[in-house]
Amino acid sequence: MSATTRPRITPSVFFGRAALIVYLVIMLLWLTFPVVLVLLASFQGTLEVSFPGEFNLDAYKTIPPAYWEAFWFTIRAALLATAIAIVVAIPAAWAMVRGKLAGRRAMSNLVLIPDVVPQLILGIALLTVFIPLRLSNSFIGVMLALVALSLSTGLRFTEALLEGLPEEYEQAAQSLGADKLTTFRLVVLPLIAPGVAIAALFIFMQNLITFELLFFISGPSATPIAIRLFSDIIDRGVLPYAVAMAGILVYVAIAFYTLVAVSLGPKYMAGSVMSRKG
Amino acid sequence: MNTSSNAAQPVHIDRVRKTFGEFVAVREFTLDIAAGEFVTFLGPSGCGKSTTLKMLSGLLPQDSGEIRFGDRRIDMLPPNKRNVGLVFQNYALFPHMSVAENIAFGLRMRGWSRADKEKRVAELLQLVRLEGLGNRKPEQLSGGQQQRVAVARALAFNPDLVLLDEPLSNLDAKLREQVRLDLRDIQRRANQTTVFVTHDQVEALVMSDRIVLMNKGGVEQVGSPYDLYATPATEFGARFVGANNLLAAKLDKSSGNAQALIGAETRLPISTCAAGVDKDGMDIWYCIRPEHIAIRSAKEDGLFAARVRDKIYQGTTVLVDLDVYGLGAIRAERPALEVGDLPMDAQVGIQIERSHAVAQAGE
Repeated sequence: MSATTRPRITPSVFFGRAALIVYLVIMLLWLTFPVVLVLLASFQGTLEVSFPGEFNLDAYKTIPPAYWEAFWFTIRAALLATAIAIVVAIPAAWAMVRGKLAGRRAMSNLVLIPDVVPQLILGIALLTVFIPLRLSNSFIGVMLALVALSLSTGLRFTEALLEGLPEEYEQAAQSLGADKLTTFRLVVLPLIAPGVAIAALFIFMQNLITFELLFFISGPSATPIAIRLFSDIIDRGVLPYAVAMAGILVYVAIAFYTLVAVSLGPKYMAGSVMSRKG
Repeated sequence: MNTSSNAAQPVHIDRVRKTFGEFVAVREFTLDIAAGEFVTFLGPSGCGKSTTLKMLSGLLPQDSGEIRFGDRRIDMLPPNKRNVGLVFQNYALFPHMSVAENIAFGLRMRGWSRADKEKRVAELLQLVRLEGLGNRKPEQLSGGQQQRVAVARALAFNPDLVLLDEPLSNLDAKLREQVRLDLRDIQRRANQTTVFVTHDQVEALVMSDRIVLMNKGGVEQVGSPYDLYATPATEFGARFVGANNLLAAKLDKSSGNAQALIGAETRLPISTCAAGVDKDGMDIWYCIRPEHIAIRSAKEDGLFAARVRDKIYQGTTVLVDLDVYGLGAIRAERPALEVGDLPMDAQVGIQIERSHAVAQAGE
């Protein structure tokens, strides 16, 4: 058969394709609609977006200092928690995957508990531990709560990355004279680095918007932006600057995604991080 | 630092043993390998050849026994202290490093100066005929080129022993034939003591100075490729290395010379006997290589009468399946020119030009 023959388009093929396209468009609209709405609303200062309407930056200009404080508080806590989680997760995952430890399965399942237990319960549990330690209503407390969540996500990612890395690379390095630490530094780490960057991106995003868990830990002197927005909206309704701050969170998410995507190149972002081998 | 020292070392393996639970993977493996020798561990999967290789490299600790490189006992050392060059089945080239960086990795671990490293990498690129490709990434090379980089990386730091773990199995058939000879040539020029692991008997015959034939964790036979092919020591060897016709027989020494008694009264001369084939009346296998069966006209005297049952054309040679009266089904391999026009069901006479006898397993 020649390569130029095109498959004949029968009516059933035509309707099948049309249905697929409609399905995809609806799905994309469904996924992006809330984000687009928030962005549009932030330029009009109200959730009731109107066309044609006036678009301006007024809502952004009225964001109060308390919001900015909460915003930077959240960014700092999220970044620090992400960094700590990654730094702890990589060697732990290496030990679990390569160390052939007894009870390894049980251990790696235990670490996932924060991910499966409802955050509500986790929050109450953390609060009962944090109060006597004077950690509630503090930056450290919020940050540690985020670390607990980040660590389980981080471990799951890095474990999968290392499972996907053929052990021959490490064996080759060792046979060439590298000790375990050198092998890890020169071979393992560079090979899983792209996957780790993507893991960090996901963890950071998750930290940025964690609400339920922090609801219990936070207080007047440690208020993440999600909590600040929520309590303001409950008290006073949807204010223009609240919508503007929601818009800013969307920009942060897009900025970080772009940063990771640009520094890794498109091939890593397209597929799942789990499917990447060495 | 002397970058071109000759590192060839003899290797002594003394009663090395490895078990996994109840399963004996390698039993009391003993072998002395001369400096610069190319030795192949040959056997089917699960015979213990790869396990033995892993114990030599240090990736797997042995249960008991001793391994020495020259006078240096190394079996207690981790892989990075053994000075062993290892070539993996899938090459395991570091994908994030260039070809040159891959080759220099072992030198870097040994603290070579930049100038020494560059000189040595250039030497090796030349040895494996990849000059000018040092800056490429492994993924930019063909399978055969990657394989040569893996070999260069394993040779670079003048290891005491080079281990090759089925390095040809990922190459296509045509390339494999070429790389076999390349690898042999590189090994000779580098004068490295080398252990090669394979399940492919042709690879083993073509490349080795000596072959260690392994089965079920034990050594069946150690010898030159010629020894293994011409005079297998055991039934396993007779079946595993090369094609063979095995006819059940009893050893008959009544006439002074060793003869094979097949059935009630067919007696055939035996050219060579494996060690242990000595007791009159014992059960043996009478082994005839297909190329040692001559096909003649049925009219000639003193030949076995046979009927041509099938012919399998192979290009250079033809496999001829024969029903031999008194002996049963036998396969011959003859040049295509000689038997090309032989019709099916033809009545022919066959002559056994050479034969060998091994004891039946369990004798």
